[in-house]
Order: sequence, then C-alpha cells, then structure tokens
Amino acid sequence: MAAIEVHELERTYRSRKGVIRRRRTEVRALQGITFEVAAGELFGLLGPNGAGKTTTIKILTTLLLPSGGSARVLGYDPARQPGEIRRRVGHVFGGDRGLYDRLSALDNLRYFADLYRVPVREKRARIASLLELVGLTGRERERVETYSRGMRQRLHIARGLLHDPEILFLDEPTIGLDPVGAREVRETVASLRAQGKTILLTTHYMYEADELCQRIAVIAGGRFVAAGTPRELKARVLDRTVIELETFGVAEPTLERLRSVAGVASIASETREQAEVLVVQSRIGAEIVPALLLELTGTSVGKVITREPTLEDAYVELVGSA
Amino acid sequence: MIRAFASGMWIHVVQFSRNPFDLTGVVIWPIVYASIAYYLLDSKDNPRLLLAASLGASVMLMWSLVVIGSSNALENQRWLGTLELLVAAPVPFAAVIAPITVASGVVGGYALVATLAWGTLLFDVPLVIVHPLAFALAVPCCVLAIGMLGLVMASTFVLYRAAFSLGIALQYPVWIATGLLVPLSVLPTFVGRIGWFLGPYWGYRAIREAALGPSPWPAIGMCLVVSATYLVVGTACLRAFVHVARSRGTLKLT
Repeated sequence: MAAIEVHELERTYRSRKGVIRRRRTEVRALQGITFEVAAGELFGLLGPNGAGKTTTIKILTTLLLPSGGSARVLGYDPARQPGEIRRRVGHVFGGDRGLYDRLSALDNLRYFADLYRVPVREKRARIASLLELVGLTGRERERVETYSRGMRQRLHIARGLLHDPEILFLDEPTIGLDPVGAREVRETVASLRAQGKTILLTTHYMYEADELCQRIAVIAGGRFVAAGTPRELKARVLDRTVIELETFGVAEPTLERLRSVAGVASIASETREQAEVLVVQSRIGAEIVPALLLELTGTSVGKVITREPTLEDAYVELVGSA
Repeated sequence: MIRAFASGMWIHVVQFSRNPFDLTGVVIWPIVYASIAYYLLDSKDNPRLLLAASLGASVMLMWSLVVIGSSNALENQRWLGTLELLVAAPVPFAAVIAPITVASGVVGGYALVATLAWGTLLFDVPLVIVHPLAFALAVPCCVLAIGMLGLVMASTFVLYRAAFSLGIALQYPVWIATGLLVPLSVLPTFVGRIGWFLGPYWGYRAIREAALGPSPWPAIGMCLVVSATYLVVGTACLRAFVHVARSRGTLKLT
C-alpha cells in the first residue's frame, strides 16, 4: 500500500464579492491531480506559485476538504477520518510564523508535545533528541523572537517531528532562508530521508528537489504535468542545449522574434542581480547562437554561456508547455 | 486532553504575561473603575460596599479580558500562523481553544489582586473575607465560568474574522445583565433573568458572597453548571464550525 494516494483530486475556492451586487467567484486550485508516494520515499511536489501545491498538502493534512476526487493517507480518508491522520502525520511549512515568539523553543516544543499526545515519559528525551537533530541544543531556553529565520525553520521541523509521525509534509521549508540556513535545513531533511521517513516536499528550488527527492511530480495551474525521478525529468530535455544570454531591457517584440528562430524550443527571461538573462533551449545545439545574436542587434548583450540542461530547465519546459 | 488543557493554559498565561503593556493595562484598568466607584458611591463609611465594588471591577475586567481574549484568540493564532497547527493537532479543538479563553480569565486574576491591594492600601478597605476557603474556590470557578462562555464565543470566530468587533460590543450588555455596572435592583426584572444564563453573573455572585456572605455555595455550584453547559455547547459549535472552515478554506486567512 502506498503511504499517500491522490486520485483526480479537485479543490475549488468559492467567495462572494460586492456589497449590493453580490458576485460569486470561483477559483479552481486543483483540477484533478493524481500521484502516489511510497512508504519511505522522499517525494517532491513542484510547481509555480498558484500551482496547487499548498492546497494539496492542506487536503492531505486534513486542513481542507476536497471538492472532488479522492485521497488516502496511510489508508485513511483525510475528509472523513481526520483524527486517524492527524496523529500519524507531521506538517511543517516555510516562513517565520507558526511559533509562539515570546516563549522559548523549549516551551513551544513542550506545548506542541502535549497537543500531539507525546507520552509524558518520552517527552523530555524526545525534545532533547530533536533539538540535537536540528542543531538547537544549548539555545532551547532562548525566546523564539531572538532566533534567526533559519533557527526558526529548524525549530519548525523539530515541532513537526515531535510525535514521531510516519509521514512528514514539508511545504517550502527553505523559503526565505539564506544559503547557509537553507543548506542546514536540507541536511536535516536528508538525514530524515536516511532514517526512512516518508516525506512529501514542496519547493520552488530545483536544485533542492534534485538533491533531495527520489521522485518528483510537477503541477501547474492545478493540473498534473509530469512525474518521474529527477533523472527521468531531465531526460526530457537532454537532447537540448541551453544557451544563456546576458542582456539588458529586451522588449516583448524582440522576444517574439527570438522564439521564431529555427531550432528554438523555449525562451525564459530571468532577472539575476543587475542583469536580465535569456535562457534559450535549443534543439540544434550551440550553432543557433549567431541567429539569436542577429535578432538581438541593437540590444546590448553581455556574457553568452552554453551548458547542459538541468532539472530546472526541464521544469521550465514542463511548466511552460502545460 | 487534560494535559493539553493545562499546558495550553500555562503557555498562554505566560505568553500574555510577558507583554508589559498588556499587563500594565490589566492592573490599572480595574483600579480606575474601583476608584470611580469609591468616590461615586461615597462609601467611606461602608467598607463592605467598597469591597463589593472592588470585586465587581475585577470581574468586569475579567469578562472584558475574556471577551477580547476569546475574540482575539483565533485572530492572534491566525496572525502567529499557529491556527492551522492547532486545528491539525490530534486533540479536540475545544481542548486547544478553551485554555486560551480561560487563560484570559486567569490573567484577570492579576486585576483582582491589584484592586484588592489598592483598596487596602489607599482607601483602607478592610480585607475581611467571610468565607476564605470558599473565596479561594470561588475565584477559579468564576474564571472557569467566564472563560467557558468565551469558548462559546470563540467558536463563532473560527468562521467570522470580523467577529472581534461583535465581541467588543458584548462587553457592556453583559456588565449590565450581571449587575456589575449598575445594581440589578434598579433595572427591569427580565435583565436579571438574562444574567442567570451568563457565567459572569454567577462568577461575581460566588466571589462577592464568599467575601461578604451569605453562603456562596449555590453560586459556586451554578458556576460549575454553566461552565459544563458552555463546554458542551462550545465543543459542539467548534466541531461544526471547524468543519465549515475546512470546507470554505478560511482557516489560513489573515
């Protein structure tokens, strides 16, 4: 039996606007996504903002009811058997909220241990071992309001693990962290994977998914796009060459002309520090560069780099074509 | 569940007590009311009346703190980002929310101590408690009765974020219906009857009768009865409203 089964899951948010003329609006956050996560697997759920990642996690952690389709977590239905699921899963989300700032880390963990029914005899030892796991031993008596973002995030993970859940849901756990903090969180997640914990991770960062996840599902606009191992997803664009052109102020008509150059599979524009970088996926290798430069005549062009495709390129291609 | 309740109450009392601004307000507010009552009632020669006014001012603040605390409770949890974690906990949601509302009442206990100390030190109010043992029991029973009414109110705030303003509006009617602001004897009879259904009415009576007599035990018993009733109603409401909030997706909204 899979630890998590999601079949044709749907979720629609309905709201009303206006005082006199009430208008109903509907947002279809999930439009029938399907995937499975095996026990002991670290599974990544990737997608752009608004893709439906958090909505999926909220349904699986019993915080939201689905509008259609079905889901099973450890064999239980999140809509009808929330109690069975709540004592077996942990939920950690990114950002620096979700903790009592005026209390110490120890008080936070003690409180959540009581809420999550950690046996009294095990509570002290469990908290000590989790503080050790997330590297907060020695700082546990300090108020959370004095913690850095990275420390808060690690405390979140400790909180999510208090009741030794069979499944851990990590919703963008490294969002907003500096590189060192993010690396520490990734190391913690990797050690949990090594312990055999089932983990469902959502993230925006491709290198993070590439480094940690055994399998990945990509969703966009509430729809399933693709699933597979990072290698399988990368293989979808392995026949391509990626060309990065550092430019400044490329207008949309120029982008359209670039897209029509023979051999161009896709173009994405990214902002990196001071520069705009055009990431071009080519089907015919680097020989496309002169044609691209020709279309960019009159635009200042900096460095031009040719490289192998990464998981991020596969993701951009998948999401772009969805 | 009892552990979750006790732990939650402790955590929220500590969380509240660590804000010096909130704490200063809690201590000063009933002193102001008790002082007004002292001069308004011209009760220099009637220390019993002054003690009753001091106790009344404390219970008024207790109720205000619970009203504000319970209407703020869920909004604060939303703001802190902890509401979803609390809903996702395996213990019943009432065991999570009740400690917050009762903790607000416990913080009102600071006001009781401050007001009695103020009255003794400044106005020479003799701190003579007729039934000390009953008084020691009446105070937590009063806190419980008021806190549990807060639980019923808090349940509606799961659904309606703007319920805070409604909660604030409920302060004065309850003060009036329980005889805290104006003696019930000067009001129409039906106002006092409304008070019978309210925790603050029985809480104040229990504390006042423990301090001044006659027997406080019927009022203490009623505190427990209304608390149990509120617990049942609040638990049922919370369960229903959380289900609706899961359906509408309004738990996270800030």
